[in-house]
Amino acid sequence: STMLPLLLLLLPAAHAIDQLGYRPALTEDPKLEGLRTASTFVLDQPRCVFQDYGNAVIWLVVALDQAVPTFNNTAGPGTPETAFQAFPDPVRAYMTLNTTLGSYPCPKPDGDITVLRVGSESSCARDERRPTCNGPLPGPGPYRVKFLALEGSVPVAETRWSLPIMLREAKSTNSISTAGSGHSADMIAITTILSILFAILLAALVAMLFFWGSDSCGSSSSFSKPESVTVRRYNTHHVYDQPAARL
Amino acid sequence: MAKSDDCIHILQGLLVFGNVIIGMCGIALTAECIYFVSNPPGLYPLLKATENSDISAAAWIGIFVGLALFALSILGIIGVIKASRTLLTVYIILMLITFAFEMASCITAATHRDSLTPELFLKQMLERYQKSEPANNSDSGVTKTWDELMLQNHCCGVQGPSDWQEYTSAFRLTHSDADYPWPRACCVLDAQGLPVNLDGCKLGVPGYYNSNGCYDVISGPVNTYAWGVAWFGFAILCWTFCVLLGTMFYWSGIDY
Repeated sequence: STMLPLLLLLLPAAHAIDQLGYRPALTEDPKLEGLRTASTFVLDQPRCVFQDYGNAVIWLVVALDQAVPTFNNTAGPGTPETAFQAFPDPVRAYMTLNTTLGSYPCPKPDGDITVLRVGSESSCARDERRPTCNGPLPGPGPYRVKFLALEGSVPVAETRWSLPIMLREAKSTNSISTAGSGHSADMIAITTILSILFAILLAALVAMLFFWGSDSCGSSSSFSKPESVTVRRYNTHHVYDQPAARL
Repeated sequence: MAKSDDCIHILQGLLVFGNVIIGMCGIALTAECIYFVSNPPGLYPLLKATENSDISAAAWIGIFVGLALFALSILGIIGVIKASRTLLTVYIILMLITFAFEMASCITAATHRDSLTPELFLKQMLERYQKSEPANNSDSGVTKTWDELMLQNHCCGVQGPSDWQEYTSAFRLTHSDADYPWPRACCVLDAQGLPVNLDGCKLGVPGYYNSNGCYDVISGPVNTYAWGVAWFGFAILCWTFCVLLGTMFYWSGIDY
């Protein structure tokens, strides 16, 4: 009589999915400029995570943040319910990037860059015959992803859901202000100094013209044109010996 | 009398020397501005596209000011030696007019240089680079200039490849974000002009794409161009100021 409860206990266990502790995350090493763009993001490959499931096919599930609680692991990949082309409406989560464990050898060789670029296949984004297309994401998100291992059509293991991933949003060029941050110190220096010099010159010119005709302002260094002094001196005595030219 | 004669001769000598320097500087200014006008820096399409031609206007003014300075310096030398009040009056007034023009040219060049901010080039690049229907020659000139700039200097964008991600652009309208996070010219290219590793470039793996911006490369020649006109003119004007003050002092000492 204890057999029945035991059998009943075992039956659900036979169909339970293993919950792996791994949480998918955006690649942190190496630092990638294109880690998050407007329609793609880059995840670390799940190395050394699915070691016990050598026969399974590992799928990536990409879901809208709000669709995470309602995602059903038994939804098959490549069906209209999980087709990329119908994402994000009405399909709230799609499955893509299927691969066998052989593509994720463990341990990861040093120096290799092991990443998955979600959204890199733009050629099949509108092709309904490719429902598992890894197409560019249609909006900024937020999205959450997890890996799911299927044997045949039976899910056997899953990782945790990632933290929400937000993509970049491009601003309009109108937000760039080209008004300039004011004038540089050089320009202000040039303008100020030249204005002062010019003002001094104008003032000196005015003073100069004001005193035109009057004798030089009392300075003892006034001088006469050297030649005319000589001519004057000679004129008083030898008028006819001088050339007619007057200076 | 002899002493003030010596003073007079020293003053005359100084003024002649000052005018000789002004004459030579005038020739140099003309030559420099002719060089700038006829041989604009390779980035001239970018400057032209900013629709603000003040720097080249400053260079044109510089040519004529230089010639005027040379002519007036000769007039000044004659006036000083002959100690003629008329000649010197004409000289002083014409020099003041030339001073004013050169002052305008310097200030214009400096102000325009200030307006060439990174934001200006960024907006121009985003709006015109690879525009699918170039409205006029200046759009295709901008595209060609940017391509050459990025290829020759191994740089990308104004501040970096993220310029293409942070803002919408004419480039983005014709090139999808997934295939072209940034233009191919930002990738490290091999001898045939193809990206060494296209996936590495799209991911932004260091070593397969150019991560630094081109603004430093742009601002170098532009600075030379603007400051060559502005600061050299400023130096000439400072020297001219001294010579003019000396000439006015000399003028006031001439007996009539």
